[in-house]
Amino acid sequence: MTTTTDRHPVAAPTSQANPARTLRAVFANQQVILLLVLVGMIVVFSVLNPVFFSVDVFANILLDWGPVILIAIAQTFVIVSGGIDLSVGATIALSGVVAAFAMQGAVTAKMSDTGAILIGVAVAAVTGVAVGFANAFLINTAKLVPFIATLATLGAAGGLAIVLTGGAPVGGGPASAIALSVPWLGPLSTPGIVVVVITIIAGLYLHKSRFGRYTYAIGSNPFAALAAGINVKRHLTKVYVLSGLLSGLAGMFLYIRLGSGAPTSGVGNELDAIAAVVIGGASLMGGVGRMTGTVIGALILTTVTSGLIIIGVEPNWKKVVVAILIAAAVSLQAVRKSARKA
Amino acid sequence: MSESRILYEIRNASKNYGSVVALDGASLTVRAGEVIGLVGDNGAGKSTLVKVLSGAHQPDSGEIFLDGELRRWKSPHDALEAGIETLYQDSGLAPHLSVSSNVFLGREVMRPGILGKLGFLAQKTMDVQAHADLERVGIAVPASNRPVAQLSGGQRQAVAIGRAVAWARKVIILDEPTNHLGARQAGEVLEVIKAAKAKGLGVIFISHTLPHVLAVTDRVVVLRLGKIVRDAPTSEFTVDSLLGTITGLITSP
Ligand SMILES: Nc1ncnc2c1ncn2[C@@H]1O[C@H](COP(=O)(O)OP(=O)(O)OP(=O)(O)O)[C@@H](O)[C@H]1O
Ligand SMILES: [Mg+2]
Repeated sequence: MTTTTDRHPVAAPTSQANPARTLRAVFANQQVILLLVLVGMIVVFSVLNPVFFSVDVFANILLDWGPVILIAIAQTFVIVSGGIDLSVGATIALSGVVAAFAMQGAVTAKMSDTGAILIGVAVAAVTGVAVGFANAFLINTAKLVPFIATLATLGAAGGLAIVLTGGAPVGGGPASAIALSVPWLGPLSTPGIVVVVITIIAGLYLHKSRFGRYTYAIGSNPFAALAAGINVKRHLTKVYVLSGLLSGLAGMFLYIRLGSGAPTSGVGNELDAIAAVVIGGASLMGGVGRMTGTVIGALILTTVTSGLIIIGVEPNWKKVVVAILIAAAVSLQAVRKSARKA
Repeated sequence: MSESRILYEIRNASKNYGSVVALDGASLTVRAGEVIGLVGDNGAGKSTLVKVLSGAHQPDSGEIFLDGELRRWKSPHDALEAGIETLYQDSGLAPHLSVSSNVFLGREVMRPGILGKLGFLAQKTMDVQAHADLERVGIAVPASNRPVAQLSGGQRQAVAIGRAVAWARKVIILDEPTNHLGARQAGEVLEVIKAAKAKGLGVIFISHTLPHVLAVTDRVVVLRLGKIVRDAPTSEFTVDSLLGTITGLITSP
């Protein structure tokens, strides 16, 4: 029973109570390293500008984190399944815009703000799901590799968002929407709490459910999954639809944050999502990844962004720092892998 | 053996991969409680026949009968449902998943009650059960929660065999199950095959180790270039005559 990846037989990691070994095991854990990086960043930024260490700033970081973690969760499932979804950012734009039109209509029809917002959530979700089905169709039926399939929907969804709006943000929605972004539970706002709940449920499903198990199995060895009787195509459809759904919700999150649906919001965010997942320890080859890693990865990204702004660095440096973080994370993976092989 | 009914049958199966003719009108039967040896040179088409029988590949032409009924496998799922279990020559396991997750892949045990309805797994139950399944097979039993990627080749093979044996209800197809195994463990696989036969399963056993084939099979089927060139009771073969038939030096029975 050989596998194409051909892993090395390693001595079983024994769990004797050897303190030095236990300590080393703790530091070999990617999540622990990530937490240290995150804490280190917070300390550095706080020293450089003490303003950084405040509830306001953390609340802001969490508001930035909301849409990023939603599409990073989506990307975690997709990447663990051995695929990639480049369309998440464009889906944010499209669903935000379509939801904005729907809410505009609802407000014009004298609907209550709550009703209008709920309609916005539903429309954004449905739009995202539609993009997810388009991805699944291109992958399962048109036989495109995920990279090309989702590149196509990235272009189509992004283009559609601009065509529908003429490039301008769509306002005129429920006036109280933007007030939802005000934090009331520590640094968390209502949409923030929803995102935290979604994150926890997604983590449980990835690691404890049959849905998650199949996702790992397909990413690990698609033939083995098929040979075990798993309907691989149907499962991948679910994964890409889930990705679309979460991206749609991220679009609504941004709408609430900004008070309008802009065809430019979310553009390029697919890189943040992929970065968060890869920094979190997932492998682009599939079969590897943890939700806690993604959560911390997304926090690191948003902390860098806010931190650089607060210490007065030109914001575009963020892209450079993110690039370095991705390279470091992937390199760390490779180094540890070859260390295990040796 | 010949008194018992035909359990599983394939008639006139052909399969091309592009211009490569992998199977060319091959037919084969297996009865309940019968062990068939399927032999042939590298590239003769054995694994292709296995994949057609397991539903992993669809034949270009040919018919499959189970219990006398014409069947069509759209995917391995259909064949598994019908009680046909297959050990593939390679890539049958998901390396990143644990031993027990592989044993239960596609047939997970869910938690009782509402959590199970919501899709959550009873991992502990599966760990314990998988260990018991592998212990019964008795070859190089690895811990249930270890990722398959960390196992030795022989341990992986043991997991794959254990899974097939644990789930087979009618037919068990073993494509080179003694690969990666030491002499003692290969001997255990032969015992596993005898036990499956005693349970009344139909067994299709593929191996390049001809003494093993002669030791446990009732009938031997020889494939050459996708065609069945010989199908006869094992008692009619010696290692030398079997080797001659495989290589084509001996052409008439
Ligand atoms: N997926 C595939 N794509 C293209 N050609 C294939 C494929 N699988 C098998 N073949 C070809 O079909 C022929 C039969 O291969 P098969 O794997 O069935 O042989 P085999 O009898 O199992 O050999 P071995 O003893 O080496 O395992 C070979 O020529 C092989 O190259
Ligand atoms: Mg073969």
